[in-house]
Amino acid sequence: MPAAAALKILIVDDQLSVRTVARMSLEKIGVRLIHEAENGQQALKTASIQPLDLIISDFNMPEMDGLALLRAVRGHPALRKTPFILVTGRGDRELVIKAAQAGVNNYLVKPFDQATLQKKMEEVLGRIS
Amino acid sequence: MSSWDELKNTFFEETEDGLQALETGLNDMRDGNGDNETVNAVFRAIHSIKGGAGVFGYESLVGFAHVFETVLDAVRRGNLAVTSEVIDALFSANDTLGGLVAMARSGESVPADFGRNAKEALQHVLNEATDASCEDLGGQGPDSFEGIEFVPVRAEVYDEQADETHHLVIRPQVESWSQAADPLPVLQALRACGSLDLGAETSDVPPLDELQPSRPYLYWTATLRTTARVDELAHIVQPILGAFRVEIAGTPVSAEPPHLEETSSANERSTASDGSQSQSAGTADAQDDPVKPAQPPATKPAVSATIRVDLERIDRVVNMVGELVIAQAMLGQIVQDLPEQAEGRLSQVLEEVIHHTRELKNAVMSMRAQPVRSVFQRMPRLVRELSAKTGKKIRLEMVNEHTEVDKTIIERLSDPLTHIIRNSIDHGIETPDERRAAGKNEEGTIRLSADHRGGRIVIEVRDDGAGINGERVLKKAREKGLVAPDAVVSEEEINNLVFMAGFSTAEIVSDISGRGVGMDVVRRNIQDLGGRISLKSERGRGTMIQLALPLTLAVVDGMIFRVGDETYVMAISAIVECIRPARSDVAPLLGTRGTLRLRGDIVPLVHLSDIFHVNSRISDASQGIVIIIEASDGARTGLVVDELCGHQQVVIKSLEENYGSVPGIAAATILGNGRVAFILDAEELCRRSGEAGPAAARASGHGIANAA
Repeated sequence: MPAAAALKILIVDDQLSVRTVARMSLEKIGVRLIHEAENGQQALKTASIQPLDLIISDFNMPEMDGLALLRAVRGHPALRKTPFILVTGRGDRELVIKAAQAGVNNYLVKPFDQATLQKKMEEVLGRIS
Repeated sequence: MSSWDELKNTFFEETEDGLQALETGLNDMRDGNGDNETVNAVFRAIHSIKGGAGVFGYESLVGFAHVFETVLDAVRRGNLAVTSEVIDALFSANDTLGGLVAMARSGESVPADFGRNAKEALQHVLNEATDASCEDLGGQGPDSFEGIEFVPVRAEVYDEQADETHHLVIRPQVESWSQAADPLPVLQALRACGSLDLGAETSDVPPLDELQPSRPYLYWTATLRTTARVDELAHIVQPILGAFRVEIAGTPVSAEPPHLEETSSANERSTASDGSQSQSAGTADAQDDPVKPAQPPATKPAVSATIRVDLERIDRVVNMVGELVIAQAMLGQIVQDLPEQAEGRLSQVLEEVIHHTRELKNAVMSMRAQPVRSVFQRMPRLVRELSAKTGKKIRLEMVNEHTEVDKTIIERLSDPLTHIIRNSIDHGIETPDERRAAGKNEEGTIRLSADHRGGRIVIEVRDDGAGINGERVLKKAREKGLVAPDAVVSEEEINNLVFMAGFSTAEIVSDISGRGVGMDVVRRNIQDLGGRISLKSERGRGTMIQLALPLTLAVVDGMIFRVGDETYVMAISAIVECIRPARSDVAPLLGTRGTLRLRGDIVPLVHLSDIFHVNSRISDASQGIVIIIEASDGARTGLVVDELCGHQQVVIKSLEENYGSVPGIAAATILGNGRVAFILDAEELCRRSGEAGPAAARASGHGIANAA
């Protein structure tokens, strides 16, 4: 049962506004250690500097999208185990299937509210206290 | 403005960028210049607008963007040909999207039939798509995906995943012991792969009388539980191979050819995709940036990715980073002074702060960095002009002109470089006749190069001219009274005479150079930048002038140490190692305070207490610490200090600007305790110890008198 305040979570999205909204939701859940990255490359760099408890990544990003990031994480010996939630658009079933095949832990449909976020996180991390 | 409003503002700014990218992309598509990446970029722009609009609750925007994006999706999948009808529909959709964004921004309510025509046009072209891929054009697809059994994967499942246990042996190699490859980043990378149990093996250590201090006897054994495979582990340890022998499960790891391997190993990987290929390979260069991509992606963003910023604003950031570094050092001091149980968590957070400050510093410094090309590219013209004027044939070669240096340094490099090249053409390169007579190619060559070397940038100007005529220089120097008539002067000293004020050997003062205001000014300029100039010349073969400059002017990694009551700083980049020498390794040499035997080399020692006239707590090098420093020409010197106090980033505060130049001191800084400390000039100290004979003897006399 992880404590929210101890979780280190990385939000990946190319839009600052969307990242910030996600950050605010996480903060309401009680998460304190929140990192942000604008794209897949940056996310990998951040992830390699410190171990993360969860990566929440948007799919739609220039240069390295969320699926490519997921695959890179799963193919990286040091990051392989990092739990990963992919954020998708509504109705994007193909992407969810691909992500599941690539080893995603869960998905989130955008836009999401705090309750949904927490539910999806708990499905992966267990009950958050 | 509430923070939510501010966020909305951010969203609309991002949306403006998106709309711009959208328009550019659509124009390219209309003009037939659009490739797959253009369509992708257009799709992404709409998709981002849709995503953000959803977050901020602009439902009509989401709905319209969804239909818009569906059409683009059909195009990029090749299900819909880009006919003029499609282009028209996309442009009208673009206008509608822009209108919807504007209304969302101003808070207007959207008229019921707004954009209906555009939407109908989109739906119409979609009907012609070969695969009506998206069923729900309402844009309100379900949150869950019917027909997909998605079971969230618990994080622990990965922990239980078949972790394997690997046994590693990491043994330093005797031959390359002095190469000092740092194993720490590699060990950290291994630890990051799973749970690592690392132990030092002492069984090879021989009895004391057989022990050779310079041989490594200790080695590590490691047990690693991880999901990483053997080939991945072998890849991680690559950076230290050579200096270390690494065995995994008893099998030695062999060195991989650095580049070839990257592609092959990535291809083998079943999970690897386009994105991860460049990725996984990067682990080898683990130091600062373990997952640096092998190549930057070639895609160009649709919106220009550069902005112009006033240098003044960047400098303000540089200053703030400087202040931040000082504040962080103070915080570090406070944490250090806390009782141990209180500091644990705090020092962890402080570590992160230090890490981020360092990243911040690097990021800011890289904003100021510019390729030296901007200076180099002025030189071809100069060479052309001068070669026309002198009738000499000269070819200019420029190497590594993309090397990046701080902007201030670039700006102040132009004059010295011009001087040096003028000199080279005027005095160095011979006329075609002379060159032919000397059996050389008629055409002289000047080679201009830039390199990063040991935390400095080294710029070299090398010509294949006549070299310096030592006798003529000496004669001239004696005439001018710069050298005593009976003094014995070494070749190096003769070369250095060129840098003295008022010196010129040109028999005829030409209008190109040789007015005697050349090289001394050049040296002054370079020294003002915290750099060093050196000259090597071989008669008949040519001259090489080397400028060694600091990379940045603001913050350096420093080693802090104490001599008596004084604290000093030395740039880490100049330090080779710090040792506490055995008494037997410190040998007195006539007229000096001694030399140090270091793994077969003799290193001159300099007692800082002598140079700066402070009372040291130690009388002999073996009681203190010796910091081995290296000048840019490779000369080594051991600085004898009382004790080391630690390593931290320090902000350079110019001494020249606030006081004046002091030989041996490069600058000042402010330490965590608020005190000012001097940053020492490694080049000068090395030079002093090199020429030191009499000076050091005087100094040592002084020191002894004090001790007595």
